[in-house]
Amino acid sequence: MTGILIVQIALTLALASIFLIRPSVTRSAGWKIVAFIGLCVLPALCIVGGMNIHVQRSEETRFCTSCHVMIPYGRSLHVDDPSYIPAQHFQNHRVPADRACYTCQADYTIYGPLKDKLQGLKRIYMQYISTPPKEITIPGGYNNNQCLRCHGGARDFAENPVHQALMDSLTSNQMSCITSGCHDTVHNIAQQSHVKFWRPGQ
Amino acid sequence: MRLSTIGMRRLLRISSALIIVGLGIEIVSLLWYHPLSFVLFAFVAAALIGLGILVFLASLVFVVQIPPHESDSA
Repeated sequence: MTGILIVQIALTLALASIFLIRPSVTRSAGWKIVAFIGLCVLPALCIVGGMNIHVQRSEETRFCTSCHVMIPYGRSLHVDDPSYIPAQHFQNHRVPADRACYTCQADYTIYGPLKDKLQGLKRIYMQYISTPPKEITIPGGYNNNQCLRCHGGARDFAENPVHQALMDSLTSNQMSCITSGCHDTVHNIAQQSHVKFWRPGQ
Repeated sequence: MRLSTIGMRRLLRISSALIIVGLGIEIVSLLWYHPLSFVLFAFVAAALIGLGILVFLASLVFVVQIPPHESDSA
């Protein structure tokens, strides 16, 4: 995909340069068609291709942690304590390591990626123009569907007697998986100075 | 100023320049690995390229050259 975009950009730049230096070439019918391709079709494809790459890139863990407020959250993935839910999932590859944040935070509904992108833009606005919040929270709280997307129907989840007793409350999101006193150690960045970190290969 | 008085060539130059600058910024945004790179792409690069496309389309719609034999008969 990146290769195609590079070719599109190079071709558009070459054609646009020709029309910038010598616009008179468009007098012939053939060059009129080339102008339409070079100044309308190809630039539109460059926007679509660029948007596609930016959206794909924003799903990567290193993209999320490139924002300085997210650095402690990224560090929490390396905590050497299995009670830390994100660390346990990241270190045991229960989520793809290169898309760890997106896998558990994304909204998987039809307009989910768009809503996530708008939410991201809102956070950028708060960070640079408005006032950033002291504590980062998820609007509406963490949705159990994010967990149940993978765990729902899994044998060890379904056969657990505690899960069985609470299944209706969990699936209807009345009781949160992470605030119910069951799986309540999430990123826990306030305690980060007191924990041990895991290094791959140790 | 009416678009037809600006002329096709000038509009083509403006369109090309906008697209070249927009693509330059798009390249920078793709090389820069930061959340702001998306903002740079969406609000600056895409806007400039889109404006370039619109100027080109405007040049097709508004700057119509009437062939000499038609203008003579009118």
